[in-house]
Amino acid sequence: MTAATDNNGSGGAEPVFELFLIGLSSHMLRVEWNKEGVMAEFNGALCKVRVLDLTDERGIYGAKLLADLGADVVRPEPPGGDPLRQRGPHAEQAGAEMTSLWFAFFGTNRRFFTLDTNTQSGLQQLTELAQNAQIILTCDHALGVDLLDWETLQAANKSQVVINTSSFGSKGPWKDFLAPDLVAGALGGVAATTGDVDTPPLKGFGELNFMVSGIYGAIAALAALYDARERGEGQRADISVHETLVSCLEHVLMFYWYSQQMMRPDNVLPRQGATHWSMAYTVMKGQNGSIMVTPTPDFDNQLAWLIEEDAHDDLIDPMYMEPENLGLRIERTMTLLAKWIADKDVEPLFHEAQQRHCPYGQVLPVEAVADNPQLAARQWYQPYRVGDMSLQSPGAPYHFSETPWSLGVLGRPGQDTRQILEDINWGQR
Amino acid sequence: MSEKRPLEGLRVLDFSHVLAGPFATRVLGDMGADVVKINSASRAVGANDPTHPYYLMWNRNKRALALDMANPESRPLCRALCEQADVVIDNFSVGVLDRWGVGYDAVSAVNPGVIYVQMSGMGDGGPWSKYVTYAPTIHALAGLTHMTGVPGREDIGIGFSYNDHQAGLHGAFAILAALASRQTSGRGQRVDVSQFEVGVNFAGPSLLDFFATGTKARPCGNALPYDLAAPHNVYPCLAAENPSVAEQRWIAIACMTDEQWASLKRLMGNPQWSEQAQFDGVEDRVAAAGEIDARIALWTSTQEAYVLMKACQDAGVPAGVVQDGVDLAERDPQLKAVNFLEKMADVSPVLGQTWVDHLPIHFSRTPCNGYRRVRELGEDNAAVLEDWLGLSPSEIDAAAQQGALK
Repeated sequence: MTAATDNNGSGGAEPVFELFLIGLSSHMLRVEWNKEGVMAEFNGALCKVRVLDLTDERGIYGAKLLADLGADVVRPEPPGGDPLRQRGPHAEQAGAEMTSLWFAFFGTNRRFFTLDTNTQSGLQQLTELAQNAQIILTCDHALGVDLLDWETLQAANKSQVVINTSSFGSKGPWKDFLAPDLVAGALGGVAATTGDVDTPPLKGFGELNFMVSGIYGAIAALAALYDARERGEGQRADISVHETLVSCLEHVLMFYWYSQQMMRPDNVLPRQGATHWSMAYTVMKGQNGSIMVTPTPDFDNQLAWLIEEDAHDDLIDPMYMEPENLGLRIERTMTLLAKWIADKDVEPLFHEAQQRHCPYGQVLPVEAVADNPQLAARQWYQPYRVGDMSLQSPGAPYHFSETPWSLGVLGRPGQDTRQILEDINWGQR
Repeated sequence: MSEKRPLEGLRVLDFSHVLAGPFATRVLGDMGADVVKINSASRAVGANDPTHPYYLMWNRNKRALALDMANPESRPLCRALCEQADVVIDNFSVGVLDRWGVGYDAVSAVNPGVIYVQMSGMGDGGPWSKYVTYAPTIHALAGLTHMTGVPGREDIGIGFSYNDHQAGLHGAFAILAALASRQTSGRGQRVDVSQFEVGVNFAGPSLLDFFATGTKARPCGNALPYDLAAPHNVYPCLAAENPSVAEQRWIAIACMTDEQWASLKRLMGNPQWSEQAQFDGVEDRVAAAGEIDARIALWTSTQEAYVLMKACQDAGVPAGVVQDGVDLAERDPQLKAVNFLEKMADVSPVLGQTWVDHLPIHFSRTPCNGYRRVRELGEDNAAVLEDWLGLSPSEIDAAAQQGALK
């Protein structure tokens, strides 16, 4: 075993951040230094699973999810670096190019390999990387994807899993349409329901649409891996960003298919700001901010609170208790809540509501999320080394009792090329 | 229905309700897992009522077992089912399943291979662990409501329960990762999914930006928050006179490169305003985005949305109609080409026709194209108890007589 070089030049000054990759003959074992400076094996749930990451924005989140659970994920980059390293936001570092924090988030826990697909040796390296992978994640036309001989690869490695993500799938009239996140969200039904009556339809902030296709890719990869291990045969799966978005629209298709059962006159609900399709959740303005307010799931509980504060007005009228008047009750309750909340400080209101089991939520800006006591108590933010910066980073979306999630050091372009070549015995044949 | 979907043979005991948990198990069921959904007559109201449209959306491809957990006679059956399960999943508040005697410690003691997933709002631990959440709560607390909107407002946010879907998908992914681990170690484990942490995760780049530079992300409409692209917005198209909000037609146009901007200009007929040299560079276009957007809106507002989209795409300009539910169900030719939305072939004897949106994963060897309708409360009691526990008809009758199965 040979330890890879320290990739951040820190000389191990802060060993708790350090993470090394040690090449074994058939797999990679990730090892990290603990606080006592002792190497301990990192046993992520996907430890020893070899993944080749040939994704772009549409699939890179899925590769991140696999990498953060311990898979050995190799991401090739063209000479000059991955174009996604140009995505903002950026941080300026002394004596260095601007660092992409977008890439720092989506490019966690990878090994980076410089791949020149314009050379014969580069193409051969790409083929050998693919041959060695148990899972290959691709996106249509991403680096190297159009250059691989997929039929030959599949024939040579029957248990291999290949997951390809495209904007619209491999057939159909829109298969060649271009769809960055904004366009994907428009066609996928997301934008039509986001925004308000006095705004255009809106996209979610950042990359929310491609994070849906990304996780579907990761799910497909692990389902196919499970099947391959059980039955000895791998397979390919195709994922269309468009279909993934349509599958995650909550009420949109429900309104279309079941409008009669919902007793709705129309089968489309236009965008209406933060107001939920049930009309029983919305954001209200209070003192010192805004708060998401709802009388659900227990209207009587909310009514009791309003009665305590003498803010119930006519809500105790038995008329509102009749099942056929539920819509009227919601409307009247929301009107009274808006009036009642206008004079309240939203932060103490939020906590008092939760003490009363009312699922209110204070509308928090990102800086408050960064300083959130719940996340702090669960030690959710994790130390993360990005170049010369020691940052706090978002942690895991799940916690495994036996196989921990881990965050390493963001790799520089191509930094693991030599080690990976050794892993595939490049130059020794 | 395919006999060899990828998760055939996997047993999932599903105590979850509403959207996030049921969506996780819907994905597993679509891929062939034997998902047994626990419900009861006393809980089958609102979104837990098997006839409610919300329930219909998330609970296909599952078998229905009625267990009255308030009845002590049901507890031994519940424990026995947990002993046979590969996966146990719930999204009750922390501690509920412990009170029923089927918490992780009790179940793993007799079933060390179990993957035990708890999908609570805030996770197990921390000062907010008992806080009650729905997706709009999470959106607000995670920064998603604040960031999604237009400058100066914080009351818009995402218009549907994005985080519920994503929490479900992350729950399904976590289950599959734990199964992959079990395939090599032989051991199961507990997975604690905090829906809040799932939501905060989506603000990842903005949080890194705040920690690295102190920059506070703010809503920016349809512009890219950190990268340069213009025009990049949603524009009005031809619609009925004085359209309601639902009748408006819109198109998204996103010029991600200078070449795409040049193509758009050609498509517009190279109008004089667009030929100004200061619009050649993306920095200048972003600076003048308001003016450019207003000019483009005048051009788009007289055109039919789908025709314009086709013209843009043919010219190499990324563009897409803002599609609503009717568009998706009736007009979208791409979804039609793969039969993505269809009538449920397995018609409900109680509800009649129901509908399906397909699993958006197309496996080559183990296609997942089989869909079973949502089952009625307790419809599969006998089959599940026989398959999982080997109970005889008389033993099942006895359990029913004791009131456990309702």
